Parts: sequence; C-alpha cells; structure tokens
Amino acid sequence: MTTSERQERFQALVEEHKKILYKVCHSYCRNPADRDDLAQEILFQLWRSFHVFDERLRFSTWMYRIALNIAISFYRRESVRTRHVLSGADERLLEAIDETSNQPEEVQLLYQWIGELDPLNKALVLLYLDGNSYQEIANVLGISETNVATKVSRLKQTLRHEAGVKYGTR
Amino acid sequence: MELDELKSKWAEHDRKLDESIRLNRQLLRETYTRKAKFALWRLATMLALGSMGMLVVIVWLGHFVAINWLMPRFTVPAAVLDLAAIAALAALNAQIALALKIDYNQPVAVIQKKLETLRRFRVRYSQTILLTSALAWAPMFIVVMKGFLGADVYRLFGIAWIAANVAFGLAVLAIGFWLARKYRERMSRRFLRDIAGYNLNAASGFLATLAEFEKD
Repeated sequence: MTTSERQERFQALVEEHKKILYKVCHSYCRNPADRDDLAQEILFQLWRSFHVFDERLRFSTWMYRIALNIAISFYRRESVRTRHVLSGADERLLEAIDETSNQPEEVQLLYQWIGELDPLNKALVLLYLDGNSYQEIANVLGISETNVATKVSRLKQTLRHEAGVKYGTR
Repeated sequence: MELDELKSKWAEHDRKLDESIRLNRQLLRETYTRKAKFALWRLATMLALGSMGMLVVIVWLGHFVAINWLMPRFTVPAAVLDLAAIAALAALNAQIALALKIDYNQPVAVIQKKLETLRRFRVRYSQTILLTSALAWAPMFIVVMKGFLGADVYRLFGIAWIAANVAFGLAVLAIGFWLARKYRERMSRRFLRDIAGYNLNAASGFLATLAEFEKD
C-alpha cells in the first residue's frame, strides 16, 4: 500500500469512527481547548501506529485502546492546565454543530457522571455504553471478563445510589 | 436512574453525533507530517542527549584519574564522581529503554502501568541527582580546578574550607527539601514537584489504583 493510499484508508476509517474520538475527548476533558489538543494527540498516535494495525481486527477496538491510553495519560499529566493549544483556538479538529443543545439532559448528566469517575472507570463506562461486549472491554482494558462484569455491576449500583441521593428515585 | 436505561439514550446520542460532528480534514492532514510532538519521543531524545553528555563526563573523569594516578587526593574524588556518572548513565539508559518500550497498541492496564513505572523512575532519578549534586559539589570543585586550571584546592583553601562547603551544601539541600514539601501544592514546575515527592506519591498512588483495578 502506498503512503497516499494508507492516508486515504486512515482518513476513511477515522471519519467512520470519529464519534469515538468525540466521546473520549468529551469524557476526559472539560475545557474545549484541551479537548482539541487531546483529539490531535490521539489522532497523531493513531496515525503513527496505523502501520501495525491488523486489518483482521475491529478498527474500533484498536482505536479505543490507543485513544483511552492517550486520554488517561493526558488526563494525568499535571501540566494539562498550562499547555498550549496546538492549533489556532478558532480552528477545531472536531467541530460539533450546536454541541450542547443537541444533547438531551440525560446525556449531559451522563457526561457529568463520567467526568466524575476516575480515569480507569471512565474508560470502562465509555466502552460499556458504546455497546462493546465484556470480552471486547476486557481486551481493550487488559483485565479479565469476570472483572469487567464485576466492575460494571458495581458502577450500576453506584449510579443507582447517586441518583437516589440526588433525585430521591431509589 | 439505571445505567442500562442511559445506554439507550447514549445510543441515540451516538446516532446524532454522526450528523452533528465534523472532522476538520485540513488538521487531520497535518497529522501525517507532524513530528516530534510526541511526549515520549521528546523525553527519549532529552534522555539520549543527557546520556551523551554523561558519557563525555565519564571519559573525561577516567582520563583525569589516569593522569593523576599517583595523587590519591585527586584520584579518589574523581573516581567517586566517575562511579556516580556511570550510575547516572545506566539510569538514563534504563529510562530510554522504558520510554521506547511503550506501545500504545497494548491494553490500557499494561501501558498505564509502564507509564507510571517510568514516571516513578524519573522522579527518583531527579531526587537522586539533586541529592548527589549537593554532596558532590566539593569533589567536583577539587577535580575541575585541578583538571582545567591545574590548581590544588587543598592548598589554596584548606580542608576546613572544603568541609564548610560540604556542610553548607547539605544545609541548602535540607532547606530546599523543607520548602519544596511546604509549598508543593503551589508548585507548577515538574522538577520542583519531583523534588518534593509530590509526583512520586501520585505515580505510586496510581500504580496502586491500577493494581486494584486489575483485581477480580
């Protein structure tokens, strides 16, 4: 495959899975400038690793692995708050039309709840909400399927409890 | 509020995202030509430069020991410094090896553990370098003065002066540590936070969280 063919293939796959990029960035960064910075860092790493991507595997699983690894490191990097944005502030990698008003209240609340989780559980919830099987989640995170099931069940209980405390819906 | 109920809302949100988000193709194309922005490569390059500098120091100190072989008051401090430089070189190379081994294609728990191990190693390295430089100041002065100017510090200043300088170095170090610990919350520079042990605690804490996360 020539470089331009590889670029075209990569572009098509990223376009197809841009939602993963959007959701990961929105779950790990509150600040729009940081979000864009993170999106660029993820894309850069995806492109750098694209030559080792095994086409027999699901692109989404591979993309999730890289995106979550980068996002967790980015989130944990203490200098995030003082980082410079790579691109101009008015030019964003992922542009959302009418970003917040398009989201139903439940989704906004969900993003808020995800935002409060630790970086590892954030990854788990994102993968679960996106409909990945326990096996796929285990594969991305590097933990056992049983462990995934236990953690999902615990997170469900936590959410139920928090909702009960906040809205009295227990 | 149930997670499974929210899952269906999330699926709806997912469908809408297809129409509402747009990828900036110009910026995406820039990704193909972007270089040296990757933090780990930047770190590996910095470490490699440090490693080369350390190699020059080791060779120079070895040469110094060889030509001053019969004068233990110069060869002993130089040999101690040489051993410290060799240890620093080994530590730098170990960090380079760790940084280059990080492959983001691997599962999250594996990579995050490697990253935190590297981080903890770097913090310990910074702390050791600082501690050693405060203690090594006197032997460094003796060796540099002899090596570059041919001056004998023992005769020029006397043993008492050298001892006073070592004591002063230790006092500065103790005050520095105390200040770094006292004001660590306000520190933004990574090196200062490393000295204060803030980043070491954070790295160790996250490694413990990872271990907990991996448990069934």
